[in-house]
Amino acid sequence: MIAKKPRMGKSNSRTVAGVRKPRRTTARKQRPATRRAVQKQRIRERIVKAALTLFQTQGFEAATTKAIARKARIAEGTVFNYFSSKEDIALYFFEEEVDHAMKSVRDNPRLRKAPLAEKLFALVNSQLEYLAPYERFIGTALIHAMKPHSALGPFSHRAMELRHRYLRFVEELIEESLPRKRNPLGFVASEVFWVYYLGVLLYWLYDTSPAKQHTLAFLDRSLNIGVEMFKAGKR
Amino acid sequence: MASAGAGVVGSYLGYALQRAFLGEDQSQAKLKATHTRAARRVAEEMKSLRGAAMKIGQALSLQTGSLPDETLAEFATLQMSAPPMHPSLTRVQFRRSMGAEPEQVFEKFTLEPFAAASLGQVHRAVTREGERVAVKIQYPGIRESIENDFKIFRAVFRPAQTTGHVPAAALDEVQQQILAEVNYEREGENIEYFRKHLAPLSFVEVPQFLPSYSADKVLTMTFMRGKHLPEFLDERPSQKLRDELGARLFELFYFQLLRVGSLHADPNWGNYLFSNSATIALIDFGCAKHLLPESVAYLRSVFLYPGSTHSADFTHLLEKYYAQLGKRLLPATRRALIRFADNFYRLVYLPGLQPVKPFDFGNKSFLETYLAEAKNLFRTKGVLPELIFMVRAEMGLYQTLHRLKARVPTSRIVRTYL
Repeated sequence: MIAKKPRMGKSNSRTVAGVRKPRRTTARKQRPATRRAVQKQRIRERIVKAALTLFQTQGFEAATTKAIARKARIAEGTVFNYFSSKEDIALYFFEEEVDHAMKSVRDNPRLRKAPLAEKLFALVNSQLEYLAPYERFIGTALIHAMKPHSALGPFSHRAMELRHRYLRFVEELIEESLPRKRNPLGFVASEVFWVYYLGVLLYWLYDTSPAKQHTLAFLDRSLNIGVEMFKAGKR
Repeated sequence: MASAGAGVVGSYLGYALQRAFLGEDQSQAKLKATHTRAARRVAEEMKSLRGAAMKIGQALSLQTGSLPDETLAEFATLQMSAPPMHPSLTRVQFRRSMGAEPEQVFEKFTLEPFAAASLGQVHRAVTREGERVAVKIQYPGIRESIENDFKIFRAVFRPAQTTGHVPAAALDEVQQQILAEVNYEREGENIEYFRKHLAPLSFVEVPQFLPSYSADKVLTMTFMRGKHLPEFLDERPSQKLRDELGARLFELFYFQLLRVGSLHADPNWGNYLFSNSATIALIDFGCAKHLLPESVAYLRSVFLYPGSTHSADFTHLLEKYYAQLGKRLLPATRRALIRFADNFYRLVYLPGLQPVKPFDFGNKSFLETYLAEAKNLFRTKGVLPELIFMVRAEMGLYQTLHRLKARVPTSRIVRTYL
């Protein structure tokens, strides 16, 4: 019996001919669509759509799973086959939002060679446009997230996982513009960006200008300044 | 602005310290370099702020004689440049205003702007009908930034308001006009107005406004060809061409004042395009001043006044106009206006009917005289808000004629329209 040659460690799939390929954070993996899976997805979307309508019109606290089920025209028990709670529905919505924003940046060929400030603008703007129809819900969701033990809170497992996925994507965008060798503080940059994003979200919620023009102007100015300061800090 | 201010103070302190150790020639060279550095810092800050701050920088860039040449050179970069919006933001602004992407509205659209000014940036495009157009897209939040800038300006000018040198009404007039420029629907109306009323002047080209391709923050007009003043001068036009263009600019100004009663009032060089056949294309109609009939009548009565400016009749004309505007003509203002007429206007515009040599705007001394008389008038607290934009346009005209070194038959042209 010939002994198999032992494997000398896991092969690095990001290295090709000695050159490290950039990693790409992707949206959550979707299973191949069987008919049953398509049917289930349709019901899931009905539940989410009904929930968002109620979150927006009645507020997050006031909306109940019973009312969501009635609005979605399904049995309340069916709702729990898909989501364990209304917080679970809200988290699903935020995951969809982040996936959508990441995809809109990655799928846009015009952004491939764009400067960092523009890529970050496109990312944040895509998120805000996705959230725009549910502005009232976002405000109440943020308040709910502040409660101890809230599933929407920053320390819940799912929320942390979502945040990490989002910030990995931001790190990739930064790395594409400023390679790691010139970016020793890269890990801090993405955390700083997270705080910045929360600030933008609050600014947007309080912005009463027509078509949220103030938020656009703030994004434009602050990203340009922020990226320049970041680059200056690198030197 | 605070950081720009600190940087400028640092530059001049540095110069002051070094001056003790430098000879005269080195000292002058150092001072010029300091002016350039300081002005560049302020210009860059004004560009990044866009809006009213940049407009003030543009206005300052036309002040030949009142600021060092190095400073004027840096501020001149504000005439046609501001940091453009990046393409993603441009798309968002366009889409929110027009309800569709630029490529869905136009046959062709160039995402990179070819000009970026204080309130918006301009793109080339081709309409579905095949017409080449210029599409102006406004920066986000510009109205609010102007309102905020004016809160600061009012605070800065409070001492001058208290003494009466800069009446609150004057700042109101300036703010209203700049805010009016943010209204692209109004600008579209201005374009149509001037296109109709300037039609008798064959050498003036006014674009056509395209309302179906425009909205509150997007303004589309036909594309105008020509060169801005610096580019035009770089080609070393002949004296004959300079004189012809100068005369036409002069005629355009007085035609507007005395026949139309309204002015295309922003003399920023970025708003004019010149050709080698001495045509003038106007391209920005945000700032239009419609004068009161009383103002036009007053100007017609005092331009080329045939009698003595020290006469009772001339004084009566001044007093009557001030009274019509609800103001009292102070004796000091009356004296300053008469002095202005004698020292400047009678120099540049000879009132008699005899043929005279064209006035040579190439000699800088006339500008220095104008500024000195304007400062003297300002000290008397006789500023009339109604005439602020006319004076700004007049000053811009003289600055442009000086750059052109044009020789213009001033009185003959004015007489044509009196």
